[in-house]
This record gives sequence, structure tokens and C-alpha cells, in this order.
Amino acid sequence: MIPHAAILNKAKDRKFEADPDQAPTEDYHDIVNQLEKEGEWEVHRVPEPYVEVKNKYGRTKKIPVEQTWHHKSCGQCGHIPGYSTSIFWINRKLGLDYHDPTDQTSCTAWNYYASATSNAAAQAAVAMRNFAAAHETGYYPIIHCATSFGHYKETRQQLIHHPELRRQVRAILAKLGKKLIMPEEIVHYSEWVHAVRDRIAERQVHDMSGIRATVHPACHYHKLIGEDAVYAPEVYGAQRSAIITSTLQALGIEVGDYSTWADCCGFGFRHILVSRDFSRSFAVQRKIEVMKEEVDPDILITHDTGCVTTLDQSQFAAKAHDRNVGLAVMSDSQLCALAMGAHPYKVLQLHWHSTDSRPFLEKLGVDHQKAFAEFEQAVEELKSGKKEYMTWEDADG
Amino acid sequence: MVELPVLVIGGGPAGMEAARGIADIGYRCVLVEKRMVLGGTPELANYAALTPDFRDAGEAMAEMAKAVQDDEQVDVRIGTTVRDVSGAAGGFEVSLKSGTGNETVKAGAVVIATGFQHFDPGRETQQYGYYEYDDVLTLVDLEKMLREKKVVRPSNGEPPKRMCFIQCVGSRDRQIGNEYCSKVCCGVAAKESIEVRQLLPDCKVFIFYIDMRMYGYWENEIYWPSQEKYKVNYIKGIATDIRKKGDKLIVRGEDTTMGRPMEVPMDLVVLSVGMEASSGTKEMAEIFGVELNKYKFIETTGGALNTVATSVEGVFACGAATGPADIEDSISSASAAAMKAVSIVRKKALAG
Amino acid sequence: MTLDLSGKQYAGVDYDEKERLFEEVKKDFRFEQYLYGCYECGICVAACPSARFYDFSPRKIAQSVAREDVDLFYVFLNDSVWDCSQCFSCDVCPRKNSPGGLITLMREVAVNNGLASAQEALEGYGRVVYKIMATGTQVAPDMLQANAFPDWGPHVKDIAENLEAWRRALPPETMHTTEASWQVDEKTITELYLIWHMTGVMDMIKEVDEGLFMILQDVMEEKLEDAGYDVSFD
Repeated sequence: MIPHAAILNKAKDRKFEADPDQAPTEDYHDIVNQLEKEGEWEVHRVPEPYVEVKNKYGRTKKIPVEQTWHHKSCGQCGHIPGYSTSIFWINRKLGLDYHDPTDQTSCTAWNYYASATSNAAAQAAVAMRNFAAAHETGYYPIIHCATSFGHYKETRQQLIHHPELRRQVRAILAKLGKKLIMPEEIVHYSEWVHAVRDRIAERQVHDMSGIRATVHPACHYHKLIGEDAVYAPEVYGAQRSAIITSTLQALGIEVGDYSTWADCCGFGFRHILVSRDFSRSFAVQRKIEVMKEEVDPDILITHDTGCVTTLDQSQFAAKAHDRNVGLAVMSDSQLCALAMGAHPYKVLQLHWHSTDSRPFLEKLGVDHQKAFAEFEQAVEELKSGKKEYMTWEDADG
Repeated sequence: MVELPVLVIGGGPAGMEAARGIADIGYRCVLVEKRMVLGGTPELANYAALTPDFRDAGEAMAEMAKAVQDDEQVDVRIGTTVRDVSGAAGGFEVSLKSGTGNETVKAGAVVIATGFQHFDPGRETQQYGYYEYDDVLTLVDLEKMLREKKVVRPSNGEPPKRMCFIQCVGSRDRQIGNEYCSKVCCGVAAKESIEVRQLLPDCKVFIFYIDMRMYGYWENEIYWPSQEKYKVNYIKGIATDIRKKGDKLIVRGEDTTMGRPMEVPMDLVVLSVGMEASSGTKEMAEIFGVELNKYKFIETTGGALNTVATSVEGVFACGAATGPADIEDSISSASAAAMKAVSIVRKKALAG
Repeated sequence: MTLDLSGKQYAGVDYDEKERLFEEVKKDFRFEQYLYGCYECGICVAACPSARFYDFSPRKIAQSVAREDVDLFYVFLNDSVWDCSQCFSCDVCPRKNSPGGLITLMREVAVNNGLASAQEALEGYGRVVYKIMATGTQVAPDMLQANAFPDWGPHVKDIAENLEAWRRALPPETMHTTEASWQVDEKTITELYLIWHMTGVMDMIKEVDEGLFMILQDVMEEKLEDAGYDVSFD
């Protein structure tokens, strides 16, 4: 009910809490469980301990805390490796058991959305192969990329509604010696960050209260099958996904709102690889410049492979045209790791980014010159053959 | 069998009209209203003027309330709710609860007139920021301002220079599950746009719509005047989101007539929220065992030729309890329900 | 570039051929959840990034298909669908259409039928397809070459020059790779090949890039045979 009496009241006096009884969709949990009862698939249940959060329609979503199977992202591991490294680093620092598998392929959705050289059955089989592989280890899948996350939700929906597709995918998996396994929840890593944000904040070593940030939510996180996305009454009045913003607020960061918050980043899948004029223009004109003009943030935080890539790499060329750019971009995982004292180059691997995060590091009192020298020295040891790899211990050294 | 009174549930326009109709043709009626006042949603939500005739809503509701309160054939029970029912057509026993305790009344027939509630724009059309931005309002919020003859931006108390209405919020939407037109919002928005232009001649007013639905005489009573006399701008295209920029709201949509995306700054945005079945309607359906339709309103079972019969003999429904309805429709269906209710009371008494 | 909706550029294409492709889109099992009907409300265009930079309208594409206007559909199939960003911002549709999903189907049909426009749109894209097919990971560190991403800044050159050492400077043991994003088991890649094979993906690639198909075919056939799977590409 709209609060009729509160006519001249401000928005803060209008309270909204999503009511699952009014959800316009059938609860996917119920259908996934029902299909298990009918013998269509096995459900991989979220292991305890888990954190219960609310999704868009106010239904409960379980987020696993540990025993997580990390479904890595090709764009992150390939081009922004500090992104995934930071996720693992946080797990280690919080003492949480996780598994970083080699029996995992890309979701292949980047290629699919870019080139259409695939089809629904192939995409579903790839997804279910990865889920089956996770199940075999006993660890629960947690998905690093928002496109994988979105695409897997799409796949789940197709498998739910099309028995013929289930039969086809089950037959393919049988040939691989695997069963059809559907996870109870499809979980994005940033939801895990949200779920453990207070633990992260407890270990915070850099005061971030003077920092102002902007947030870019990934389209494939909150628009593509948006009902799984996490919402909270205390963030944007449960009108937009709480993800990232909740985490930044837990770290004491001021999150600035801007008028193109819901716009895409301009990634475009094929565009970022072969039609980058579009990606650059969109990222700069619709996101970066708007944030600079309306908020002037110290840092832009997002939670997806494509978004970090586009928003970060698109600013360099725009500088030549005197555009109002120059905003450092990081993932929430990198920012959280940094807050907990992670090394900016050995863990965050900021040298893979295009934008300059040094002013931001300076504002936090991080000596980036010293840090980069340490990194270079570590690389020298690798090049000279003194060491083969940088270990987790080295990364904290 | 003696002729028992008709129980009318709901003291809004439809319930009051049904009660008055029953009394006018010489039968007794018990009118139950859970709030402490009669007048229904127009009273609760502070409507300024009725659509389409611009009649003062407070005055109109007061007149209707007086008609039933002054009629000794109508036993008006405010602050009273229906708890339970037994019996059948011609002889229902209905237990009522009020501040003074529980009581069972006998009734030969029942008229459910429990109305609607406005769609809550936080629920799914979330990109409109009703719960985020002071200057995003609903038709209902604006109606109260119009009643007070003071239309201002809640953020700063200043009158708006540019404002817009966004139509079909919570209606005609498969995403939300409300796969129906709420019928009245187009007319109400047009009516309110005229009232705003009368109060604030310098304020530019826009209406973003999918289809403007002002059938019959509403065309020349509100649609054309708003456009021709009051220069309200109608733009075919619905907004995808509303975001704040400085102290303005940016409304983003496509101007589909011109075929271009648009982003327009506004001081005030009014969401034309539609109708949903009220909680009272759902509760009464449960108690009386009448079926709801797929839209959660009470299902009328008589097709086009009987718009007030329900799945239970002797129980009728009228007004917005059976689906989106304007005041004109509500009053008409209330009269029909009164007539049908009385006729079954009479037939059962004669038979029995 | 302004989109020519007159259809005269495709006047030489048989109506039956256009209709065949149209029917192929409609018979996809996802079609009925991707297109119900269209209000012409424009919410999809308002939310669409591509509509701001191209003469591109998800509303018009959805409308052409809803109206079963086969000539118009054919124009969009060739000259418009590759502009879509596949972000699914258009999923806000009050009719619950997914114009982006509809475009996915249209692209698949364009690829399956080897349309010249699809081949052209995917020109320069083959290396990405090769990467995903061959390594099981989609983009890889060794794709970061200054000549491929000259607009991203000087760090791309630094990465390329130091790639091997910088990869070893990553603490996660799975990420020391340069040709793949992470280390993928041989068995896992073979399973992926089998999926491509069993779902007809190789046939789709053959339609748009015969050369790439031949290379992949060689790689995959050998691996699958070694793994003891009975498959053959013909």
C-alpha cells in the first residue's frame, strides 16, 4: 500500500520492502526442486555455512561462504588477472576453504553473444558440464563473471521450460560420463563479497571514509533474468540492486549517484573486439564523463569482466580528444583486497589496467612507488630464474 | 421465510450507492465499513475532483454518506469487519466484529464492494525511483496537493516549472503480472494535468503514454481540452528510468513518434499508478468462498449480461472489487448489484 | 550510417528465401518467450546503448517480426542485428519481450545460413572463435598485443613484452598460462570439443569461416580420437 498520508513527505519517509507473495514469477527454487523430485536432475545444495540475503522479489537467496568452486572468467584471468587474484586472496585472508579448478572451461557466452557461432544446446551443455565438474569436487560453484552468471540463469530458465533441451543436454553429459546437476542457487562472486562484507570491513587497514566512489552495475548481473539479483531495503530503498554499493558502504566509502547509473558500459561483446569506436564512445560519454561531471569520484567500482575492461581501457584514446576522463577503475574484489592491505601490484596487479590508480592509492596513503619497485624486483627474480613463480607468501612479502 | 436485509460490505462509492439503492426500493440494508469513516478510496486518498466531471470529490462523498446515514432503512456500521459466514442465499448468518464486540447478523444477500488499492510503484517498476526521489509522486499524491490547491516539489517546496506524467505504471505489464488496463489512469492524468495548468499556468506539462484510453465522452471532456486548451504535451513513449541530475529528474524514454531516444529534465514526475485488488477484496473472497479471476479481483460469473453475480448464489460484487473501474462504472454496477440482491431476497422469501 | 528500410537493396533476393529464414527464427524453441507482441512504447530503445550510436532500434526489429513483415525482417537480419550490444537492457519490456534474445536467434539463423552480412560482421573475429574452441577459455593473455589494441594505452605493450614473467608473477597456480586464460585440463578440453561436435557448432562455423573450420577440425578430430570418442566430421 502506498502511504497515502505521506504526501508531502520525502522519499526517505516512504518505506518499501519487497513481498515475496507479490512476486510476479514462480519461485525458481520451487521449480528446481520439483524437477529434482521428478528425477530430471540432481540439485547441488548450497553448503553450510551460508548467508541468507534477499533477491529482487524479497525471496531468500543463500550465498555460500566457503567450500566454493571458483568458476573463473576468461576476461578477468586473461586481461585483468588481479581481479580473480584478489578474490582468492580475500578467501585466504578470511581463512575460507575454496577450490580453483582446472576442470573448468569458459562459459563461452562472450563468443556466443558476439558471434552467434553457437546455439542454445551447446551453451547449456557447456554450463552443465561445468556445474557437474563442480559437483564432483564437492565444492559449490561461485561465478566470477557477470556474463557467465547471467547466461547460466538464462540457461537454467531454458532448461526449466524445455524438457526436450533437458533430454538433449542429459544425453550429451551422459556421453561425458556426467550427470545433470543444477545448483540450488546461481551465485555471483560479488554476492559473496556482499555476504562477507562485514568480515572484510573488520580486517580493513586503510581508512576509506574520505573516499568517494561511483558504482557501475553489470547489465548481465541485474537485467538479464534480474530476479536473482540481490537487493536490500537499506540500499537505494530496495529499488536497485544493493550489490557493490553495500560493500563500499561497509568500508566507509561514500557512494555518489549519477544519472546514467543503469546504462550499459558499452562492452557489446563483438564491439569491444572488432568495433571499439562504439565501446569507447559509449563508455566515455555515457558513463565516465557523466560520473566525473556529477560526482567527481576518486574511483569507479564495478563487478564484471566486460565492465572493468570497457570502462578502464576506453579512457586512453579519449584523452587525445581532451575528453573529461581519467577515472581509475577496479573491481569490488580488488578494492576489498586493497582495504585489507593487499599489495597493489602483486595482488591487485594494477599494472594490467589502463587508467591511473596512483592518485587513489596516494589518497589512501599507499606508497605505490615502493610497491611497484617491490613488484619489479619480484619479476626480476622470476626472469633471472631465481624463482619460478610468485607464491601467495611472496605476494604478502 | 421473512425478508432479511442485504449486507453491503464496503463504504466507498459502490457500497454507499448499493446501500442507497436497496433502501430506495424499500428494503433494509446493513452497510459495513472497516474504517471509521465512509467515503472509500476517494476519501482515504484525498481525491480533489472526480473524473471526468471535476466535481469536488469531498463534497460528492459527503453527499453519498449523508444519504445512507439519514436513511433509517440503512444500518450503517463503521469500524466493523466481517469475520465469518454460514448459511446460504436467503439466509446467511454473518459474524461481525467491531470495537464493541462480536455480533451475528442475518442477511438474505450480500454485496461485496471492497474496491481496489493503488499499485505500489516500488514493487517492480523500480527504475522510477518512487522510494528514492522526493519529486517522484503518484497520481494519488498529486491528487492531495490539488485538493490543497498547492502543487509543489516536495524536495524544496517550489512549484514545478516542468512536470510529467508516466502512464501505465503497474498496468498492462506482463513483467509485473498485471495483464490488464486500469481504465481510469489516462483520464485521471489528463484531468490532473488540466488542474495543474489551471493552478500553474507557467508549468509545462507532459504525458508519456503507450496508448491514451479516454473512451466515449472523456475524449471531449478531458483529452481534447487538456491538449487544445491547456497545451499539455502528449508524447508516445514510456520511460525506462528516472534518475536525479543536480536538482532535476531526468526522464529517459523514446519519443516513438519522432523515432529518437530522449532524455528530458523534469522538476516533478507523476507515476500514473494503476489498480490492484484491495486486501479487503481478497479477504472477503476468502470468507464468502467466491472465486477470484486470474487478476486477483472477484470473478463475475454472468458474462456480459450479468456483471455483478459471483460464483456463490446470493453474493454479488460491484465497483472496483470486480476489476478496474471508474466512478461512473462503480455507481452503475452498484445499482445493478442492489437490484439483484433485493430480487434474490424477495424470491427466497416468497419461496420459503 | 542510416538504415535503409525500403528493402530495395534486397529486391533481388527471392521472397521465399526471406520467408524461409523468417520461419527458421520463428521455429526456434525460445521464440515464443522472446516475442509476444509490441506496444510501440519504446522502452527498449530508451534503455538501449546501441540505439544511441547507431541507426538501430530494437523496437523496430521486434515490430517487424511481430508484424511478420518478411521484407523488413530481412533488412534487419542483414543490416541491423550485428549492432546489438547483447546487454539485455531491453528486457524491461512490459510485454516481456526480449528484443535482445530475438536478435540472438536472428544472428544464429544468419550464421547457420552463411549470410554474406554475417561473414562480413565476423571478419576479424575468427581468432577469438579459434581461441575459445581450441583452449576452452575465451580471451587469453597473448591476445594483448599493441597492434591489436592500439587505443588501450601503452600498458598493452608492457604486458606483451613482459607477458611470460608477468604471468608467472600471479599467485594463483592456475593462471601462469599465456595461451589460455587459465590452465584447463586436457580432458576438459576434449569434453568441450565433444559438446561442439554433438551440438552442431562446427557446422555453424563452417558456414561463416571455412578456413577456421578446417583448422579446428584437424585439432579436434585428433584429440577426440585419442580420447577414444567415436566421432568424425564430414
